Amino acid sequence: MTEAPNRIPRSRQQEAPRAAYRWIGRSMKRVEDPRLLTGHGTYVDDIDLPGMVHAAVLRSPHAHARIRAIDTSRAKALPGVIMAMTGADAADKAGPLPCFANPPVKQMCIAVDRVRHVGEPVAAVVAESRYVAEDALELIDVTWEPLPVMVDPEQAARATGDGVLHPERGDTNIAFRRSFDFGPVNEDFAQPDHVIRRKLRWARSGAQPMETVGAVAEYNQGTGKFTIRANTSMYNYVGWLVAASLGVPAHRANIVPTLAGGSFGSKIFTHRVMVIAATLARACGRPVKYIEDRIDNITACDAHGCDRVYDVELAIKDGLMTGLKCRVVDDYGAYFQFGVGHHGNALSQITGPYRLRSVRLDLTAVLTNKCQQGAYRGFGSDVGNFVLERMVDAAAAELNEDQIQFRQRNFIQPNQFPYLIPTGNMYDSGNYPAVLDKALDLLDYAGWRKRQEEARQSGKYIGIGIATCQERSVFSATEFWMLNKEPGFALTSSPESVSLKMDPTGKVYVALQAPFWGNSPETVATQILAEQLQIDPQDVIVTYSDSDHGLNGTGPGGSRFTVMLAGAVVGAAHQLKHKLIRVASHMLETDASDLELRDGKIGVRGVPGMEKTFAEVALHAHYFRLSMPDDPSLTSGLDAAHVYDHPATTLPTADRKDLGIFYPIMGHMCHLPVVEVDIETGKVKFLAYVAVHDCGTLVNPMTLAGHVRGGVAQGIGTALYERYHYDPEGQLLTASFTDYLIPTLHELPEEIIVGHIETPSPFTEYGIKGGGEGGRMGAPPAVASAVEDALRPLGVRIDALPLTPKQLRSLIRQAQERPSAAAE
Amino acid sequence: MKPPPFEYLRPVDLEGVLAALAQDSEATKILAGGQSLIPMMNLRMVAPKRLVDVNCVPGLNRIEVDHDQLVIGALARHTDVLASPIVRQHAPLLIAAYQHVAHRPIRNRGTIGGNLMHADPASELPAVVLALDAEMVLQSRTGERRVPAGGFFLGVFETAARADELLTEVRIPLASASRRWGFEEMSQRQGDFALVAVAATFDVDSGRCANTHLGYAGAADHALRIAAAEAALNGEIADETALEKAAAAAAEAVDPPADVHADAAYRKDLVRALTRRALSAASHR
Amino acid sequence: MPIANERVRVTVNGVAYERSVEPRLLLSDFLRHELGLTGTHVGCEHGVCGMCTILLDGRTARSCLAFAVQADGCQIRTVEGLGTVDSLHAIQEAFWEKHGLQCGYCTPAMLMAAVELIEANPSPSRDEIREAVGGILCRCTGYQTIVEAVELAAKRTQEVTK
Repeated sequence: MTEAPNRIPRSRQQEAPRAAYRWIGRSMKRVEDPRLLTGHGTYVDDIDLPGMVHAAVLRSPHAHARIRAIDTSRAKALPGVIMAMTGADAADKAGPLPCFANPPVKQMCIAVDRVRHVGEPVAAVVAESRYVAEDALELIDVTWEPLPVMVDPEQAARATGDGVLHPERGDTNIAFRRSFDFGPVNEDFAQPDHVIRRKLRWARSGAQPMETVGAVAEYNQGTGKFTIRANTSMYNYVGWLVAASLGVPAHRANIVPTLAGGSFGSKIFTHRVMVIAATLARACGRPVKYIEDRIDNITACDAHGCDRVYDVELAIKDGLMTGLKCRVVDDYGAYFQFGVGHHGNALSQITGPYRLRSVRLDLTAVLTNKCQQGAYRGFGSDVGNFVLERMVDAAAAELNEDQIQFRQRNFIQPNQFPYLIPTGNMYDSGNYPAVLDKALDLLDYAGWRKRQEEARQSGKYIGIGIATCQERSVFSATEFWMLNKEPGFALTSSPESVSLKMDPTGKVYVALQAPFWGNSPETVATQILAEQLQIDPQDVIVTYSDSDHGLNGTGPGGSRFTVMLAGAVVGAAHQLKHKLIRVASHMLETDASDLELRDGKIGVRGVPGMEKTFAEVALHAHYFRLSMPDDPSLTSGLDAAHVYDHPATTLPTADRKDLGIFYPIMGHMCHLPVVEVDIETGKVKFLAYVAVHDCGTLVNPMTLAGHVRGGVAQGIGTALYERYHYDPEGQLLTASFTDYLIPTLHELPEEIIVGHIETPSPFTEYGIKGGGEGGRMGAPPAVASAVEDALRPLGVRIDALPLTPKQLRSLIRQAQERPSAAAE
Repeated sequence: MKPPPFEYLRPVDLEGVLAALAQDSEATKILAGGQSLIPMMNLRMVAPKRLVDVNCVPGLNRIEVDHDQLVIGALARHTDVLASPIVRQHAPLLIAAYQHVAHRPIRNRGTIGGNLMHADPASELPAVVLALDAEMVLQSRTGERRVPAGGFFLGVFETAARADELLTEVRIPLASASRRWGFEEMSQRQGDFALVAVAATFDVDSGRCANTHLGYAGAADHALRIAAAEAALNGEIADETALEKAAAAAAEAVDPPADVHADAAYRKDLVRALTRRALSAASHR
Repeated sequence: MPIANERVRVTVNGVAYERSVEPRLLLSDFLRHELGLTGTHVGCEHGVCGMCTILLDGRTARSCLAFAVQADGCQIRTVEGLGTVDSLHAIQEAFWEKHGLQCGYCTPAMLMAAVELIEANPSPSRDEIREAVGGILCRCTGYQTIVEAVELAAKRTQEVTK
């Protein structure tokens, strides 16, 4: 990688990390919890408005078909039904849904003319109750003309004519096709010592939070304005796109966030549900509640995870990994809302924690008759980690080397940061050997190797897996367009804001621009604010701004929120502090530079007793400006707002050989699972699990550990249990929780030991790095590694997820039937 | 997902239930625990015009010994069957199987009779009653009928009960103290229906196995015994060779269904492995 | 032909209610929308996720798998009956301390399952705790801190009753 120090933006860090804090680093009980514990949190289905009616959606039974006719007359005649709406009716007023791909793939909130996946909305009914609405759905008659169903992406990529999902875009289902070279690829593959080759498969799974997507929408006839209450995010980022879909100017749609019962990315922008609810509300003149039921959500959530097949080659020279070639076919489903952003995302850390010099990505994105992909914890880098770590294990095996030593030799070393990887992204800081060492220690690695040996003697199959992976945090959003030939936007770091207010009694109000998903935004904001102002958390109240009142806010996702929120809070708190000190200096008749904030007071440094409480200062600041010296720069009141950009982002070059810096705040993890495989049934049991994460400075270790464990649980689901399984006719065979298998506690490690290492970021406030996605980004490769290690005596290779019992049993049976099966 | 509308009856005695069933029985479903019926209604997979709620009918939930039989009322909740010392003493196989049945809230409401009448081919309890040689007691307006478990489970959600009949009791012969039993199941998650489950019982007569019963869930479109496997074990000493032979015979004999979670080859593997394990557990008792 | 409503008389958290409802109205919808007790949540309506778990005559039950009419004459307890923000139940306090929740959607269900366990079995083993809450899905926490919270609550409840 080129040493280009002037390419790395200057840090604007104002708060350096330090040895001791008062509030940061505490495992403080969460501010969010009391109302959740007592059943008083308001989720979207808890909302009840006067006159509110209920919507249900008719789901397409076909994977691909033209809608020849829809007759809603019988549905409309059912007592209790208020209206029925077809896609054509909806398209009269509502335009295409937001799409960040360029060129876009057109998606309507209710299908018009043709359906493109099972479960896609075909019509909607509004009735006095959800029960009656569902009765009415059964009375809608649709005349279908089936079209060829595209399920296999290779087949879909070759299709023309009626097999093409979006003919207006061209006679192909290939949505994107391009090859990228970063660094000296040809050189690295010219004369390597070894080339490791694998074909790897990552099947689609998804977030499936316990709460589905919903919206309660109203349309005010007098003002021509929508109010949409929804469990969505991004309403202070691109909320205006929903207004655009509804055919109104941005200020005529106010999006109000509700608590979300989990998201993991899937609620990042719930455009379709909001537009359906709002369109129905406008049409029928009453508030409309539309809540997806579980089948609606599984089949049509617009948030399936990645679905890829990779052909990978890894070049080795002198025992070091040099070049990586990936040919990938990604099955995007029927629409393309984020373009190939998931691949841009993966390129932020495609070489992992290793000193690989070159990368070729040969990417084909194909549209098929399935629910479209969306955002799911990892957003493409989860797959990147799996691919790379499988190759690393494969390399160690083929070179007959210890997996740990091979990694250690290839690691980027602690003295090499900031580090630029071949794609152009920067890793800001890290200490990968320390993370690995800590994990090995926490696991008692040597002890487990011994136990493994004993187990093998008695015919049991125990495996220890390893994954040493990156967790990038704080996206700048260039990943959504940087793989296109034309730039979609100029440079952004996707800002985040906070506004603060101290009232005359000294209480501080923090307004957030982004929703609660089960992350801990109120607690994080409170801890950082308390650190800044030396205020008691009891005196802080956090609220959520709707889009009418909000400032810029991109919201949770991409492990960005704690970092960005910290930046916003610091910026706003600095302003507030400055003003508090100014007012206090007048009240105490002291120089501002002699004053400090301590324990909810402002006082003279070194002179206890000479101080004023926040309440006293606030009262003065609000009411008694005129008793202070005249100065136009000092106004009444105590409020501050800050829009925070982290500046560590740069543009890609025009030839796309250098993608610039786009995801630099780089966390890292080491996962070490220990599993036992029952080779007769294919069942995998966890005997131990260690996860050590480096997320820089930790604000709240307890909540971070919660994310790690929850992420590991989802990663284990992806690795062993979960799959959206489409049959050759495009029917989704796993369309309910009976068949889409989310792990219960019995399937997971009883204890996930979480360790922390902190290498602060030089770029963020306090050196914080993101950590929300990491658990899920490390578990799948770690579990694959563990299962492969367990079955090493049989010579089973793990190349595909999920490793269901049926799948594992099949691999074991094949291995046992091979004449050259390795003996124990 | 909301259920379709239905007419609701809640008779106060058995006679009321049977009278309701006698009239328009094809359009009527019995509502006991509801743990199988209500999900299907919520998914709109079934739309009965009429539900007859039997939860208020007295006398259908007893658990007691009657001469040489253990009698369990059809309306006995799984939780109560599982907690019963009488069942623990006389049908420990049932207790063992219950460790794999659903989760506590489902067991609190679900009834043994409801589960057996629902006849899901992947359900554990039909396999158990087959291994225990149980008798199903059916009542209708025209009288009582007893059907041995062996002839009761006919197909997917299909039993030998007529539409106008109510299952009132399950009668299990009291086993000799020396009768061995074993239960093994493979499911993807704890509490899920079985991919394959095996309920095994046999006597040991002069050191050799006799009267072997092997009941299976997940191996066919209904719960069944596998005679070939039973025959392979009868008369043999229960050593590793014999168990493996019986297991192989079982795997050979079945023609299992395939679904997204398990294909036929995998189910055969499971039949073989779990038969051997269940018999092994039984022989070590 | 319209179906006649049925009368339901039920006591929830000690308060008696009487309503006239369609037979097909699910108990979960009855609690949430008829009675306005929205603390009990809905996740799947086919009995797998457990979000809707309540106590029905002292035993946990999935309220999406019961019709409201079946609860006639019954006693129901929901999360709203456990404690208030100013006076949390021991189990709520324990969940708070142990970080046994993130999004809060499964929390009412977990709390009711924990209450059923601890009231019947004041010193449950870890396996008994895992069995008691194991039928409820959580997508956020990985379950470990939920089990720790129930352990803590049981321990504290025992200490109080000594």
